[in-house]
Amino acid sequence: MVTLNFTLTPGAASRIHDLLLCLSKFSESVQIEARKERLALTALNSSKSAYASFSLLVPDFFSKYEFSSENYNTDGKFTCSILNKALLSVFKGRGFDARGRDTGVDQCEVNVQDRDGQAQCRMIIKMVCNQGVTKTYKLTYESIEIMHALFDKTIAPNSWAISSGALRRFIDYFAVKTEQLDIYSDDNKVHFSAFTEKIMNGKDILKQPLHTSVIANVNEFNRFTAEERRHHIISVRDFRAIVTHADTLRATVSAYYSDPGRPLQFSYNSNGMVCEFTLMTSSDYRGTLTPAPTGPPSRATSATTSAPLDPKQSTAQMPPPAVPARRSRNRNRAPGSSVRPARQSPDPESLFVPDDDEGVWQPVENRGEEDLLGWDASADNDVAFHPTFRDTGSLSHSETLGSEEGIAPTQRLSQIQGALFD
Amino acid sequence: MRFKADVQNINTFYKLVSALTSIGSICWVRLSLDDIRFTIIPEQGSQVWAVLSINTVFDQYTIVSQADNVINLEIPIGQLTAALKSALNAVAAELRLTKVGNQPILCLKITSLSGSSGTFGSSFNDQFDGDGQTVDLQTTGNTDRTHEINQQIPIRVLSPETVANIHEPRCPDPDVHIQLPNLKALKSISDQFTQIAIRDTVSRSGRQNRPIINFEANMHGCLRLSVVTDPQNISCLWTELSNPELDPTQVEGGEEGIANHPSTIMKQKGSADGKSLEGWASVRIDGKDLSKVLSIGKLSGRVIACVCDKHAIVLYVYLQSEEEEEDSSVLTYYIAHTAG
Repeated sequence: MVTLNFTLTPGAASRIHDLLLCLSKFSESVQIEARKERLALTALNSSKSAYASFSLLVPDFFSKYEFSSENYNTDGKFTCSILNKALLSVFKGRGFDARGRDTGVDQCEVNVQDRDGQAQCRMIIKMVCNQGVTKTYKLTYESIEIMHALFDKTIAPNSWAISSGALRRFIDYFAVKTEQLDIYSDDNKVHFSAFTEKIMNGKDILKQPLHTSVIANVNEFNRFTAEERRHHIISVRDFRAIVTHADTLRATVSAYYSDPGRPLQFSYNSNGMVCEFTLMTSSDYRGTLTPAPTGPPSRATSATTSAPLDPKQSTAQMPPPAVPARRSRNRNRAPGSSVRPARQSPDPESLFVPDDDEGVWQPVENRGEEDLLGWDASADNDVAFHPTFRDTGSLSHSETLGSEEGIAPTQRLSQIQGALFD
Repeated sequence: MRFKADVQNINTFYKLVSALTSIGSICWVRLSLDDIRFTIIPEQGSQVWAVLSINTVFDQYTIVSQADNVINLEIPIGQLTAALKSALNAVAAELRLTKVGNQPILCLKITSLSGSSGTFGSSFNDQFDGDGQTVDLQTTGNTDRTHEINQQIPIRVLSPETVANIHEPRCPDPDVHIQLPNLKALKSISDQFTQIAIRDTVSRSGRQNRPIINFEANMHGCLRLSVVTDPQNISCLWTELSNPELDPTQVEGGEEGIANHPSTIMKQKGSADGKSLEGWASVRIDGKDLSKVLSIGKLSGRVIACVCDKHAIVLYVYLQSEEEEEDSSVLTYYIAHTAG
């Protein structure tokens, strides 16, 4: 049996609306995970290449929060999934105003009904309005296990932070129909390029959307440490959703990432909310620049500390997941593209990722093999929310060989029991 | 072939191209050392032929080609509008013809100020809640507070042979020429009449026909828009508009030509109160089409309509420019009469 009751101020309820709007850009349903110290709302997109998470901290975000789970899963959490549309329509009311004007809603009370024997699975949201009006919404939820993408910031050598206002100005320049965003830095300049990859011929070429590059000075950033001349490509749609939400909070957005083809994380905090987005990046744009052996020392260090040279150790270290081959083929979006030959194992002496796409620009094809996030559906990550992702640079290449059995090695075999991927 | 220019009057340029987007999606642009011409000939509806003096939008420019320094391009006007929109608050903007791979590109390079007034407060706070280093706003000079935007517009380069066969439509001498009232007012009336006409054709035949509006003018300063449907006949009359005098040097045959000009003959008919049935030059046009044309009203300027009875309306939109007294930039719209 689970007890989950919390109360929100009108301002917090309005922030919930904003974050639901952001989550709706990723997935149709919202996953909710309640623990003693926080409530997390997350979404994972259908191609599992982008994951958004909002952690609402107790007590900062809530005016009242009560959670207890007796005999429930024995791990002290409650998880469920609700259609975002339903939640959005509850929180959409014009009653909220972040700027503190008279709103009509005095407070918002939420509680979850999950009694043994009754099996109601209802989330009850009460909007207590002034003039003695109370609106009650009962939403049905589905009790599910939630997967979280894990990302370890500490071993991501590239990071920067910038005000959301600046990013907001950048995305305003992007053309509406662009699909991909390339982040690239060179000579103290940071390039954000939005483009579409469709190859068109003849008259259709004029239908291609604008290719927009915004070139900002490094000093526009609050902090900037990133390896130069590497292209990291993410989706414009995801980026737009993130920046639009961050701008509603006027937050400072931080980004952490390592190599192209490995996950990237955007994060920001505000008013008891920890917002984290883990996105898959695809490999080098045009692929012309191999990683220079003179890369920043931070990267070399991270590679040595986190990437054991002996592949046998890797299971113990839980490197990022290798995608089952059948799934990676489905993700090859370019029709008619040839299946790439299997990668060679990298030179065991080398710390650096070999760039086998040299001279060819194949962002789409490159996405396949490493394009998924790592999960951990297990319960042993109470201490920190996302503690165990190992962003282990070069190791993934050797791992992708012979991983046909379809189990992501982020997880211990004992935890899987064939439930998640089959 | 080389083309490079600093764009000035971005606001005007933007309004111009955004008004052109209502006519069609692909625009033929002819660049020469004297002027820039924008031509849109859609498969259906009105055509527009615009001539801008080069100084209206370009400051420093280089236009070099083997065909007498004339460059003909085919440009998606929507993308050009979007690109210019991002330059509206720019410090500087440069347009240049370049290539990415084999694809010719028109690249708009925009320099924009980073710190706009609304965001200063937030970036100041960021110094404290961000975990990074503090940025000293005092020492970052003006040049550092700018960012650059490159907008690449896909284009096609047209050969001189391709464009040699495209000609401006020829019209007979107009029966009536008249200076139009404010286009915004005209557009709102035209839009309402179009709605009425659409409702009528749908209710009568169950399917949507072209909403027909009558556009009539006389040589005594009267303009009449009307919509005739089964149950109603609605018209809107403007009086006391001006009918500009013809310039003898511009008319074939000089003074004598003017004396025999159709408009001189029309002047003898009709009256200034618009009540006379005579002396009207009348054209039936598609209301939607007219509304598209009238979207040029975003740009202020003198508009002369030349009406060739039962044939066409030619609309001349003269752009006002601050430096030049003469109207060197003009957009010409050809709206055809709809039979039936």
